Amino acid sequence: MCPDRQILSAWLDGEIDAPWDRELEDHVGSCADCQARVERLESVRRSLLEAPVPDWRPAMERVRSSLVSRGLASERAVPVWRRRVALPLPLAVAAVALVMVLAGALTVSVIRSSFGMVRITRQGYGGTEIRIAAPVSDLEALLQSIDKDTGSPEGVIVLPKNVRLVPVGEPRMGKEAEFPRRAP
Amino acid sequence: MIRRRLMVPLLLAAAAVAARAEDMKIAEALKALLDNALEVRISARILPAEAAKESWTAESTRLTIPGRSVKVRLEGDNVQIYLVCTPYRQENGDMLLVSQGQVWFTQPPEKTAKYFSTFSSIPVTYGEKVLFFPLGLSETAGQDKDYFNIELEIVIVPYEKDAAH
Repeated sequence: MCPDRQILSAWLDGEIDAPWDRELEDHVGSCADCQARVERLESVRRSLLEAPVPDWRPAMERVRSSLVSRGLASERAVPVWRRRVALPLPLAVAAVALVMVLAGALTVSVIRSSFGMVRITRQGYGGTEIRIAAPVSDLEALLQSIDKDTGSPEGVIVLPKNVRLVPVGEPRMGKEAEFPRRAP
Repeated sequence: MIRRRLMVPLLLAAAAVAARAEDMKIAEALKALLDNALEVRISARILPAEAAKESWTAESTRLTIPGRSVKVRLEGDNVQIYLVCTPYRQENGDMLLVSQGQVWFTQPPEKTAKYFSTFSSIPVTYGEKVLFFPLGLSETAGQDKDYFNIELEIVIVPYEKDAAH
């Protein structure tokens, strides 16, 4: 008795377990009809493997047009910002709270920078780092206030009149000890 | 609606508090700047060749912070001297004085202008004297009796607010 087409197809695909696969192999080897059917099945499989992948887009477009004509889909895709998202209420509340906190932090940051944020950090080597998030004009005003604090002069020294100042050499600069004339 | 009405005053109040806090910080910054401030004392001396003659002295004390330059200009009949001193605090706490001098002068009878510039980077300690001879350093002996030597003395000391007033 010859096996039906489904069993032969399964046997070709290696889906028949022992000992039945051996029995089928023996039968196909001795049955001319089954050999012919197996050859046809193999031919179909080869043609499917060798055929190019079909282009599904026209078919999808036809389906889409059909849905649109029936009012089951819109003509254009819905933009992301118009899409509705269903969220659990606690998650929505948490999201709103997070947005409010971030907005508050941003507002405070803007206010702080507009009024001149100052950060003073003591450095390990004894120095001080001063960061002032303010316009340069404000910083300059702060530094000028130091000058006012001591009432220091403008830094112009008027030399006496009728004094003959003539160069006697190149300008020199150094520690007092480097000039023997002044050494104690 | 009530919530919206409450929101605006709350935001304004927060802004006012932030502004007040920053005012306080500006004052703190000024104090911190003064704590790190340095006094740069610059003395200009004109020494006549003859020891018997009286010397002329002028002083200028400027306040600065490390890295900020102090400028002094000396104006004379035939000379203009610019001195720019910038103290830096090194990592080990020592001071480094970076000085730049520019000298413009005219010399009769040609009335031609001459220009000298000099630059120096000198490690100093507080109170240590650095001298700048913008017109060179002359030997007293053999000089013209009418000759005047000019020197600038630069000293850096920490700023003490109580001592300044």
